[in-house]
Amino acid sequence: MIETLKTVLEAALQRLHDQVTMFLPSLLAALTLIVVAYAIAILVRWTIYRIFKGLAIDKFLRQSGLAFMVDPSGRLRATRLAAEAAYWAILLMGLLAGLNLFGTDLTTHMINGFVSLLPKLLIAGLILLGGTWLGQYLGRSMLVWAVNENLPKPRRLATIVRVLIVFVAVVVASDQLDFARNVFFSAFLIVLGGAALTASLAFGLRRGNTDWLSEKHDNVEQTTERSLWNHL
Amino acid sequence: MQDARLPADARLAIERIRRADLVIGIPSYNNGRTITHVVQAAFAGLAKYFPQFSAVVINSDGGSTDNTRDAVLSAQLQDSHLMLFSTPMPAAHRLSFPYHGIPGKGSAFRLIFEMTKLLEAKACVVVDSDLRSITPEWIELLLRPILFAGFDFVAPYYLRHKYDGTITNSIVYPMTRMLYGTAVRQPIGGEFGISAALVERYLERDDWETDVARYGIDIWMTTVAIAEGFRVCQSFLGAKLHDAKDPGADLAAMLEQVVGSVFMLMREYAPVWHNVKGSVPAELFGFRFDVGLDPVPVNVDRMLKAFSRGCAELGEVWEAVMSPRDYTGIRQLAERVRQGEPLVFDDELWARIILDFACAQRHKRLALGTILRSITPLYLGRVAHSVREMEFMTAADVEQRIEQLCLTFERLKPYLISQWNGTSPQTGELAPHEGHLAQRQPDDTRMEV
Repeated sequence: MIETLKTVLEAALQRLHDQVTMFLPSLLAALTLIVVAYAIAILVRWTIYRIFKGLAIDKFLRQSGLAFMVDPSGRLRATRLAAEAAYWAILLMGLLAGLNLFGTDLTTHMINGFVSLLPKLLIAGLILLGGTWLGQYLGRSMLVWAVNENLPKPRRLATIVRVLIVFVAVVVASDQLDFARNVFFSAFLIVLGGAALTASLAFGLRRGNTDWLSEKHDNVEQTTERSLWNHL
Repeated sequence: MQDARLPADARLAIERIRRADLVIGIPSYNNGRTITHVVQAAFAGLAKYFPQFSAVVINSDGGSTDNTRDAVLSAQLQDSHLMLFSTPMPAAHRLSFPYHGIPGKGSAFRLIFEMTKLLEAKACVVVDSDLRSITPEWIELLLRPILFAGFDFVAPYYLRHKYDGTITNSIVYPMTRMLYGTAVRQPIGGEFGISAALVERYLERDDWETDVARYGIDIWMTTVAIAEGFRVCQSFLGAKLHDAKDPGADLAAMLEQVVGSVFMLMREYAPVWHNVKGSVPAELFGFRFDVGLDPVPVNVDRMLKAFSRGCAELGEVWEAVMSPRDYTGIRQLAERVRQGEPLVFDDELWARIILDFACAQRHKRLALGTILRSITPLYLGRVAHSVREMEFMTAADVEQRIEQLCLTFERLKPYLISQWNGTSPQTGELAPHEGHLAQRQPDDTRMEV
């Protein structure tokens, strides 16, 4: 009994030893890679800060308006953005390279999946970024137009425009990633159909719609604006 | 050399006429009711004051659907004996063409200028086709400084009702004067005299397809003339009475085009206006006299409503455009109006806001159209304030108030320059070293540019 127990324990320890001796070099190499990647990432981040500072890229982005395109406050710092992006990209690459050293099915599958997904992720990210920017742009345009045209609930109209455009961007991005494609597309059709139906009902059921329009027209003709335009 | 943009009948007319000394240009769009009077005044002015010159009257039409073009071609000067002519008047040519390109006053002017150049005219006068107060003397007053005094650009100087010309009084005149140092009282007046050299310069430029093609044309012409060093003067024309504009037209779009043109030209001429301090009035020709003016009806309550609505809804846009200090000022104004207090939109806040908007478009903080169109409620608020303030003022008092506003703009020029060039667009304070520059110089001198 004791002998059997000893044999089992020895076998278990042998397996552990085998596994450790098999994975330890890979683990050490992976850790070394990650540490090296970390050092490189810090170095690259520092270098980018130095280079971009010399080029005054932030000033250029602010004066060209690109900074305000992404961040309405204009406080976007391209130097920081680029430096941090490079830092995290190098760290990620180090981590993936480290995982690759293990050569297991799982790590190989993870890396292959990530590498094949990376271009799609980038494109989807760009689509989302573009959609967000377009939503902001058109939402603000709608807001200002609705205020000047004296339309009801301008901010709500602007929000609807923003949400619709961002939603379209999400649908396109999900299509790009093959992620819940049908769900998003169906939701998009439902929202679009619902919006069209709501708009139709709103216009169709609005009592005195014609009176409202003619009253607005009369007001425009009769009062303020006419006198304000005379100078032109 | 013929220009491909000219209509075929315009090219034929040039081949037939070959050359003319003077060109009178009249842009039009459905002005059949008033254009006959304008054409008659133009003919009479040419005959009475410039009989020694050959002349052409050109109507550049934007596709009128009424009888505008027929009215131009059939207008007769029937009362020549009233002007005591002792000799037969030379017949001036008259032409009427539809212009091509973007619909708008600027495109109409472009056709007139191209024909002026091809006809090798010495000078060109443009007058609006909706004028009811034009007389033959206007033609003389707009042409004589060019023909006999060496000026390149003659701007009109009118008497207008105190509630009239609000974009001019509150934005365009103070801004143009502050930026370029020449006080032209009606920079977007609509009637101008232009020398051949300046016409040529206008045609050389490549910004005809912008807002210049529409309502931006007047401020564009004035600014180019001043900023590029052409000799500029003003002529006193009396009162300006004209038909009301198309009520369906969009105030926000007009503001966008006019103010957008001011801002666009600010970018181009930044090196010029950075070096200008103070201002001097452009020389004024003509005999000044007082005239009765049509009252201008205004609806202050409606303007206040538009202002309050803008304050309630446009916060996210204005916050991105204005300095924190000015945005806070506007919010406080809106709060007071909401509580039923009268709106007091002082000169300093108004001037700073306009300068904030100018810098916002320079730094592209938001889309240009969004920035420009969001001015409308602020503008209506400022007009409402002015109307109430001027209710019991005489014309001279009103002019004095406008002068004060202009001086405020001039005093804030260092603020504009610091924001225009600044690295921190959101700061609302004058830099300490700029504080002393903000005081207007007593001798009111202007640097040569």
